[in-house]
Amino acid sequence: MKKIKVGLAEIRLARAPDSLISYGFGSCLGIAIVDPYAKVGGLAHALLASQPGGNPSGNPLKYVDGAIEAMLAALAEAGCARGALLAKTAGGAHMFEAVPRSGGSNIGERNARAAREKLEQLGIPLVAEDVGGNYGRTIELEPDDGTLVVRSLRMGIKRI
Amino acid sequence: MRFAALSSRHTDLLGEISNIGVGHAATALAQMIGRDVGMRVPSVTITPFSRVPDAVGGSERPVAAVYCQLMGNITGHILLVFPRDSADRLMKALLGDRAPSGDEWTEQGASSIREVGNILASAYLNALGSMLDMTLIPSVPSIVYDMAGAIVDALLIEQGLTDDLALLIETEFFGKDQKISGHFFLLPDPESVSTVISRLGVAPG
Repeated sequence: MKKIKVGLAEIRLARAPDSLISYGFGSCLGIAIVDPYAKVGGLAHALLASQPGGNPSGNPLKYVDGAIEAMLAALAEAGCARGALLAKTAGGAHMFEAVPRSGGSNIGERNARAAREKLEQLGIPLVAEDVGGNYGRTIELEPDDGTLVVRSLRMGIKRI
Repeated sequence: MRFAALSSRHTDLLGEISNIGVGHAATALAQMIGRDVGMRVPSVTITPFSRVPDAVGGSERPVAAVYCQLMGNITGHILLVFPRDSADRLMKALLGDRAPSGDEWTEQGASSIREVGNILASAYLNALGSMLDMTLIPSVPSIVYDMAGAIVDALLIEQGLTDDLALLIETEFFGKDQKISGHFFLLPDPESVSTVISRLGVAPG
């Protein structure tokens, strides 16, 4: 039973009883997609909402939309049925109230919204989310039953 | 110019200036808490900003962080990080019996740490500014108490610092019987690094 660490702008897959963990989400968004029948799950740690249009450069896994697409491809390769997949998200906080927001809504909110839109467009049900607020989170996905354990200093442990 | 382009002579110079700056900050802190404050000679390293959580003890380590923007002739960012136990000791020294105890993190406690951050940053910038003959001002500071990883994550993204290198000035302040460690991160914008170097009068490279 291993705990596989997911770093910034990475995605990883795990099969039960192994789990996936990613630390220190501020405005970043954690996206978990599981196949509860195959007991396989993926976890992404995305920084920004959408890949820049035109000529995308850099790592697509930095972006919510790019990370979701890449994760679906990886899950399909691992033998998961597209119709069985369920998604959960956590993170997307706004940590520094006094720091000026760049253009309207804050980055955390935009990340959470981008995930909702992308998942809907792809027909993957978003069954739970724990997003927003002004506090950081650590996220652990247990592919065995698809539980997402969200830990924070202020809110303690939530299981969604 | 980025920090990566700096020679060891440049980092030595920045280290020397930082030493003086942190010395001023220690004096300010001593006046604030009304007792002698000693200081370890700061170590100066250049590190990618994304590794800051490792420098302060790991992503999940609870820390109090004071963040402000750097304004004036040099622009950039300043982050001061106090590990939980040091933040508690600082509050105790500042507030005495009124310091929050246990897991509480009160408005008053937070505001006292923010004030310490403000004074340390201003003292440091004053020293740096007078040496460079420039005006350097910190913005109104924000304070956050949270996991180190989440704080760095938020700054990385919200301030677009993803691949930037930070000047990490690490020091410890201590009173007679207790140690208060703090980490001071200075992140000048790339143009500002060149400005500092040319003011120091050392040829680049």
